[in-house]
Amino acid sequence: MHIPDGFVDLPTAAVAGAASLGAVALSVRKSTRELNERTIPLLGVTAAFVFAAQMLNFPVAGGTSGHFLGAVMVAALMGPWAAVIVLTSVVVVQALVMADGGITALGANVFNMAVIGGMVGYLMLVGLKRLLPKTPTGYFFSVAIASWLSVVFASAACSVELALSGTVPLRVSLAAMASVHMVIGIGEALITSAVVAAVLSTRPDLVKTYDLPTGVLANRKARALGCRGRVWGWVLAALAITLALAVFVSPFASSSPDGLEKVAAEKGFAQAAPQPGWSLSPISGYVVPGMGGAGAATAVAGALGTVSLFALVLFVGRAIGRRSRGISSPRPGEP
Amino acid sequence: MISEYLTEKEHPAGPLQRLDPRAKIIGLISFTVVVVSTPARAIWVFAVYAAVVTFLIGLSRLRVGYVLRRALVVVPFVIVVAIFLPFFGRSGSGGYSLGISHMSAGGLLVLWNVGAKAILGVLSMILLASTTPFPDMLAGFRRLRVPQVFVLVVSFMYRYSFVFAEELRRMQRAVAARNFRGRWLWNVPILGRVLGSLFLRSYSRGERIYVAMISRGYEGTIGLSSPAVFGWSEALFLGLLIAVAVAVRVVASV
Repeated sequence: MHIPDGFVDLPTAAVAGAASLGAVALSVRKSTRELNERTIPLLGVTAAFVFAAQMLNFPVAGGTSGHFLGAVMVAALMGPWAAVIVLTSVVVVQALVMADGGITALGANVFNMAVIGGMVGYLMLVGLKRLLPKTPTGYFFSVAIASWLSVVFASAACSVELALSGTVPLRVSLAAMASVHMVIGIGEALITSAVVAAVLSTRPDLVKTYDLPTGVLANRKARALGCRGRVWGWVLAALAITLALAVFVSPFASSSPDGLEKVAAEKGFAQAAPQPGWSLSPISGYVVPGMGGAGAATAVAGALGTVSLFALVLFVGRAIGRRSRGISSPRPGEP
Repeated sequence: MISEYLTEKEHPAGPLQRLDPRAKIIGLISFTVVVVSTPARAIWVFAVYAAVVTFLIGLSRLRVGYVLRRALVVVPFVIVVAIFLPFFGRSGSGGYSLGISHMSAGGLLVLWNVGAKAILGVLSMILLASTTPFPDMLAGFRRLRVPQVFVLVVSFMYRYSFVFAEELRRMQRAVAARNFRGRWLWNVPILGRVLGSLFLRSYSRGERIYVAMISRGYEGTIGLSSPAVFGWSEALFLGLLIAVAVAVRVVASV
């Protein structure tokens, strides 16, 4: 998700940069009271941890892997302002030292990872905590769902920025990016809840967003909950949420052409465009042929698309994994 | 892993290495901004930019293999854009057709735009990072009035990253020695536990070191050690780099 230079054009980069600058300035000002000579080294330590943790690729399926983002983790432990500062530092160093993420796309990258991950992730965490029962189970569900959503939203923001810059078409890239990250987000949710559970069981004072009693018994229960990680439960939950979104939201999605198509129409080269291979797909334009009622047809098309993308990700991963399984034993220094 | 990126510092002496970090930071970032703003149709302009970057890389005597290997980070992104190309309903004359997919001239222009700019951008950042030791770069940012919170957080982060990366590597080795093979999503909770204990170790290490720093007189700031001079050579470098880039850019859009 680290966008390189040239993938976002300057207007988009400037808008995203202004938004990130505002969020970062707000975070610095909000946390000035807490930022003293004691917390700054600890923020640095946390940033170094996130930096190192992002190097750890977790397996998704077979040989494919995703990497940890960590924004909701920091937000759950230290609050939204610290999360924005920590993630911004990480993204800036990645751009400057490792050339990972372009310097002109820095604003966009900070927005996707620090602002959406830290601030929006925190808001979702707090909101979910209020909605769900006030038990350790409810808390861990909120942490997991917030971190899953933060990854999905960040990838959606990334594809919107790329589409606004005219680098990729919006609909295809949004569908592809969001579905891939719906799977990767499960890993993020599992890791985030495991880390929060580990911290809660030994240093409950470090978890800022946990406001339930932290006795020995409660901690043990929390640890068990967070570490057990019922993966299939999460896969099914993610699939269910996605399906619900696809079924209920897609009929209401704007039927007017998206920005790029509009620009194309205005500039008059839409007619000249030869219909690309995409239109040969049986669910082109998100409508299943032969179904009455545009709304229902769109919903079914959305659901079918979602399920097939999920299946595709798992299937491709499985195929790749099978091929490389016999060849190599894990190298030392790799998970 | 991480320490390869952070420690593979090549500092062969060269004119670029001797410059004040501020000049390199401002110069190379503005250069990248100008490159990104250039319309993609002006292909010869990108050749000039590439020549400038190549000249600077040669001037700083970086190994070609090292630079190219680090520049590989952009390749996956370019491939993703290439995959999306057939979905672009853009057309125009020219382009290539292969079966049902059609790569229009407009689509190829997008690919060229993205690829050329990404590579030039990544090369200038590699140039900056490999001619400037990180502490010097931080001092440069601090003299450029970047908020001190960030400079301090990043300088602590830089110090600790090596330690934590090594710690993480040791933990991965320990997990692998106990027959863990992360292949599937349902293996992830194990990694979550690894990261959980890494966080706890890191944080308590941070607290210990903080106490040690306090007892050695830390007051919340870190002094700038080396005096910096923004002299004639810095002005010359900055002026020439920006002048060439802007001049070429202006000619391109005329």
